Amino acid sequence: MACTKPIHSPLHQWHNIFRALPMLSPLSARPLSTASQTTTPKPRIPPPRLPANISQKVFTPPKKIKTYPPPPSTRNHHPFAIAAINEAHITTLDPTGARTRLFSRSNPDVPRVGDILLATFTTGDPFSGICLNIRRRGPDTAILLRNRLLTVGVEMWIKIYSPKVRSIEVVERAVKRARRARLYYLRKPKHDRGSVEGVVEEYLKRRRLLRSGAVGVREPTASAKNPSAARKGVGAR
Amino acid sequence: MIQLKTMLNCIDNSGATVVECIANIKMKRHARIGDRIIVVVQKSRTMGDASPGGGPGMGAAAKVRRGDIRHAIVVRTAKKVQRKDGMVVKFDDNACALIGKNGEPIGTRVNGVVGSELRDKKWSKILSLATMHV
Repeated sequence: MACTKPIHSPLHQWHNIFRALPMLSPLSARPLSTASQTTTPKPRIPPPRLPANISQKVFTPPKKIKTYPPPPSTRNHHPFAIAAINEAHITTLDPTGARTRLFSRSNPDVPRVGDILLATFTTGDPFSGICLNIRRRGPDTAILLRNRLLTVGVEMWIKIYSPKVRSIEVVERAVKRARRARLYYLRKPKHDRGSVEGVVEEYLKRRRLLRSGAVGVREPTASAKNPSAARKGVGAR
Repeated sequence: MIQLKTMLNCIDNSGATVVECIANIKMKRHARIGDRIIVVVQKSRTMGDASPGGGPGMGAAAKVRRGDIRHAIVVRTAKKVQRKDGMVVKFDDNACALIGKNGEPIGTRVNGVVGSELRDKKWSKILSLATMHV
């Protein structure tokens, strides 16, 4: 009995009780996490039976594996795939090729940076401005126009092949050829040309008169100093 | 990219001229055109302070004063905004128009050009008040 021994501590009594109960003792001896994992032993899977003549087959030379030739390379058929895709896109977006011709470098009347361009959209509202940059990237070719609308400078990148762009026209040529490819200095107040609305308005008025066939309307005379001014309005569409 | 402390021009006739952004509403990023922000009025047109009966000039008393906290809609950003059709629009300044808590504009007109993104963001009222949109 537990009382036969002198009791030194209360814990000692618990120890004796657990010893008396063999069912509880393994549980008490282990933490609960391992106790919860206690399951029935897994059925033992017998090892696979090997064929009797395995020792003979191990040393036989392996069968020859059938090899196949690589599939035909598309690169051989289309060495310039990206260029072909770009060209296909351009033909879809610009079926007549007018926009491509307008911006091709071989065109003598190609819009250059510093020119005043007018882009009209299918939505109706046009946007005009000085061309600061022309980014030639195949179907992603775009122009950057800057204008001042109601005292606030506005810049717009316009994709020339965008289906939303109805036309791009050159309103006025730069007096001198710009010596830079990107005229970002025109953003500075010192060089800012301000609004081009007046120039565009005049151009549209003149164009309207020309199209209506009014008599006596002439293109502004080109001075010897500025022959490029004679090409005003060239390159519509 | 309108964020905390950004100073914006207020282009409506509410009376405020320069406002400072103090919070962007319902987003954890910078505000773009058409986003709603909270601003504090830093500069306002001083009109009718001394003579409330009829001040000189326009006559319309400023509806907001310096120090007022209001909601506003961003209408122009100096950061480029790319549209679905590939066009990119950039303005030279950041500007906004003040609105009330219910979303109605405080001013009665918006002087200046605003971005067309306002229509996509369901601020057609401000778009129609504006003199021009790009």
